[in-house]
Amino acid sequence: MDFITTLFPWITNGSLIMIQVMSGLSVGMFLFLVSVGMSLIFGVTRVVNLAHGSFYMVGAYMMVSLVEFLPERWWGFWLALLLAPIGVALLGGVVEVALLRRIYHRDPLMQLILTFGLILVVSTLVLLVWGPDNKSVERPEALAGSVTLFGQFFPSYYLLVLVLAPLVAVGMWMVFYRTRWGMLIRAATVDREMLGALGVNVAALYTQVFVFGSWLAGLGGALAAPTVAVALGMDSDVLVNAFVVVVVGGLGSFAGSFISAVLVGVLQSFGILIFPAISIVLLFAVMAVVLIVRPWGLLGRPEEH
Amino acid sequence: MRSIRATPILGMSLLGILLFLAAPAAPAAAQGKPIRIGEINSYSGLATVYTFPYREGLLMAAKEINDAGGVLGRPIEFVFRDDKLKPDEAVKAARELVSQEKVDFLAGCISSGVGLAISAYAKDTKTLYFATHCQTSRLTWDDGHPYIAHTTNNVNQYVRAIAKKASTFPYKKWAHISPDYEYGHNVWDEFIGYLKELKPDVEVSQQNWPKLGETDHSAYITALLQSGADAFISSVWGAQEIAFVKQARPFGLLQKIPFFSASVGNPDELEPLAKEAPVGAITPGFAWYDEGMQKRHPALKEWVNKFQTQAKKPPTLGASWGYASAYIIAEAIKRAKSTDTDKVIAALDEGFDMQFPWGKVVMRGCDHQAIPPQWVGKVKMSAEGKAVLADVEEHHGEELIRSCAEIAKIHATVAEKK
Amino acid sequence: MARVALLAIGAALAAAPLALPPFFLQLLTEIAIAGLFATAFNLLMGYGGMVSFGHAAYFALGAYASALLVKKAGLPMLLALPAAPVLAALGALVFGVFIVRLTATYFAMLSLAFGQIVFTVIFKWKSLTGGDDGILGLWPPEWLKSPAAYYYFTVTVVALALLALRAIVDSPFGSALKAVRENPRRARYIGIDVRRHQLMAFVISGFFSGLAGGLFAFYNGSVFPDFAFFTKSFEPLVVTLLGGVGSFFGPLVGAFGFKLLEWLISREWPVYWPLVLGSVVIAVVILLPRGFVGLAGGRLWTRAARQG
Repeated sequence: MDFITTLFPWITNGSLIMIQVMSGLSVGMFLFLVSVGMSLIFGVTRVVNLAHGSFYMVGAYMMVSLVEFLPERWWGFWLALLLAPIGVALLGGVVEVALLRRIYHRDPLMQLILTFGLILVVSTLVLLVWGPDNKSVERPEALAGSVTLFGQFFPSYYLLVLVLAPLVAVGMWMVFYRTRWGMLIRAATVDREMLGALGVNVAALYTQVFVFGSWLAGLGGALAAPTVAVALGMDSDVLVNAFVVVVVGGLGSFAGSFISAVLVGVLQSFGILIFPAISIVLLFAVMAVVLIVRPWGLLGRPEEH
Repeated sequence: MRSIRATPILGMSLLGILLFLAAPAAPAAAQGKPIRIGEINSYSGLATVYTFPYREGLLMAAKEINDAGGVLGRPIEFVFRDDKLKPDEAVKAARELVSQEKVDFLAGCISSGVGLAISAYAKDTKTLYFATHCQTSRLTWDDGHPYIAHTTNNVNQYVRAIAKKASTFPYKKWAHISPDYEYGHNVWDEFIGYLKELKPDVEVSQQNWPKLGETDHSAYITALLQSGADAFISSVWGAQEIAFVKQARPFGLLQKIPFFSASVGNPDELEPLAKEAPVGAITPGFAWYDEGMQKRHPALKEWVNKFQTQAKKPPTLGASWGYASAYIIAEAIKRAKSTDTDKVIAALDEGFDMQFPWGKVVMRGCDHQAIPPQWVGKVKMSAEGKAVLADVEEHHGEELIRSCAEIAKIHATVAEKK
Repeated sequence: MARVALLAIGAALAAAPLALPPFFLQLLTEIAIAGLFATAFNLLMGYGGMVSFGHAAYFALGAYASALLVKKAGLPMLLALPAAPVLAALGALVFGVFIVRLTATYFAMLSLAFGQIVFTVIFKWKSLTGGDDGILGLWPPEWLKSPAAYYYFTVTVVALALLALRAIVDSPFGSALKAVRENPRRARYIGIDVRRHQLMAFVISGFFSGLAGGLFAFYNGSVFPDFAFFTKSFEPLVVTLLGGVGSFFGPLVGAFGFKLLEWLISREWPVYWPLVLGSVVIAVVILLPRGFVGLAGGRLWTRAARQG
């Protein structure tokens, strides 16, 4: 017993453990917001959107510009948070209509490669438009401090994420299961050819889904902006994390993304305490283990690809 | 698989060969008048926040040198290549610059890996290489050789300056947070090593090694809060340090435990942080705006104005390195009275001093290592509400850097291992 | 016709050192190595239908195997080089056992995970690999060192490797592999052991990737952990797609075009190179379904292209 407490001195510190769990949950919620869009896009269009991280980055940069541009009143931040994802959604729409639409009939690998090309294009455009300097967005006054949880400090801003992300999740669930559009989406993930045969405009559906997914990525970026530096390189950081979360959860599975995001977030938080030496590779090690045990991710569906 | 048709492939190959031959004809013929320095650095992607101002400084100095008559009557010219932050791309660029563009010398680097790779190439091909922006002490020490000169300070010098300042405080228990790669380990080893020399009762209470580019530091922040340390130092830098500081704020970490940093005083970090800047943090930086600095160095303000006119932005520490590097290269050639590599190396072996708007820079002969002044200050909010470095104390790197005797020992040990 | 073309190209390559300055010989050397890596990768992707996001691991294993044998065991390059493909193949075997059980995106992601694990091991095992300081001073022996000499050496080795790969592709094994790619279920019904074929393809692909890595180690003179990082894994993917997935020489053509383009653009407009590359990739995907090779074939296919 002794060697466990020396190795992990925090293990008897119940409040520290709880705070780490809360931290992990917040990280998980961020991850969920970013990855669910990717999972959704894949589920309906079968495109693995590698440019998802780039949209996240654009969302963060747009947040910076909007906050700068809007007056420094208390509502400036919230208005920016509302508008930034819309900007990214528009970008997503343009990309889908101009580029992706032309290649849906092609090998999925080609679609993946096209989105890879997009990463390069978007990252250079961001450098050209916003310049090389690091940028930052301040947290809104109301959420700049911290609350006391379990006798420890917990940043108030993370409470926003802990509230907003599940709201988005519930909202999405309601859309998918309580609206006609949502029903079409679910049908498309099962059999889009049949859906087309039944007279649904599948092309328009694809665009809508891609726009929605991009909106989610933009929201993730805008929401994350006050907690990190808004800088070049954000796109690849988040892409890798999102991709791992999506794959571990199972491509196309909404619930899978949620569970996986929470799992990854909490594991990362604790991984740093338990195995600090392998924090570089923890995410990949987890993914490797999951994929070896469950080849389709946690809740993914086996299919002939 | 269907076989490909011959003619188009042949055509393409011929076209390719023609392109090969056509492209470099002009520069190869231009050898003769200007002294050409091949500069390899990271001019795309996320390093540009550092390399763009650095290049402005370099070009500003080059123009001044040329306007004043050049070096040995010849203009000095920099030929730039992008290493994409990859050591193998840097070697490729070095090869092109030396064998194709026929440059007289090589220069540049920001990533230590790149610097080491170019240095290995330079040693092998007996080309003189001036490392200008990367920081690793290995360049002139562990992996040193005659064909390299380091025109800016190395990790040893500026970290010792921070350690020296740290030793003036009664802090005994130290923690740190450093990125888990060569630079992070280098900084921590230098810091704690020198601090223990100056203040033997110092002890390490916690070590934190986030991965380079970590985005969420909450676990490390809570760990630091529990560490019982009297103070801690961070060598996390750039976007990662901005994220760290922002994340640490609501936890009150920086108010509870005195914060030392290797780089937060630089504008690329202080400016974006703005109101969230870590007030009270002790850190080095190029605080050209500081009253004390300008009093000590009367020529500084004018230099800054000139830089600002040209670059449309105030200078960074890197800009000063670029400026100094160009002058040091020029000086070495001047003293050698020739662009012959061996003669320039001999000039470097003798060493020399140069005066810059921010003080004296020594080019030390025993290891071709530049020694500039070191500044350590405290982060404060100015009257205008801007985050600045204040209470800047200046030491010269000469007081801090390892002696030539120590370096000779390092070189000897390395030679033995071979 | 094709044979004449190949002979002509072969003659041009042999004569190159007489006409080209040393830097271009080095560029051609690099193209040959990249072409080999991409062709090895394409054995898996184009012929086997399996996309790997972690192939840089085998390239790096090859590079480090040779580097370590030279620096730690004092072996000469010619003895250290053969170790490169062997260690890489071993790695491919160990990882491949797990990876080939998956398909499509999951296959790609598990290969990515193993690739990053290899990177982490190289990065963190400082005492053995030097970590991010890399291993420096890896030069070929004097008689192979000049640009022309190493060029001939590399081109010869690569040509032999390509011959071997071509033989594999044209063999019954190759046909079985293609059958597996087309329709794994049907292949199973006609008695092909799908898993075993996929694993063998994975190992062969890893073998030649490692050889490319070994050749590169001595070309570059140093090895660094970023040889194993996932961004390096995208190189053969992009190169193959640019050149043309469906043809044997596609990756080589792609390597030639890519390196040339990269060199020309990056020296003048370094900031714009990623933009150019990204745009070219997008343009090729949309307009040139069969890659650059499709361009050489004469027609631009804009609508329903059959394969990829």
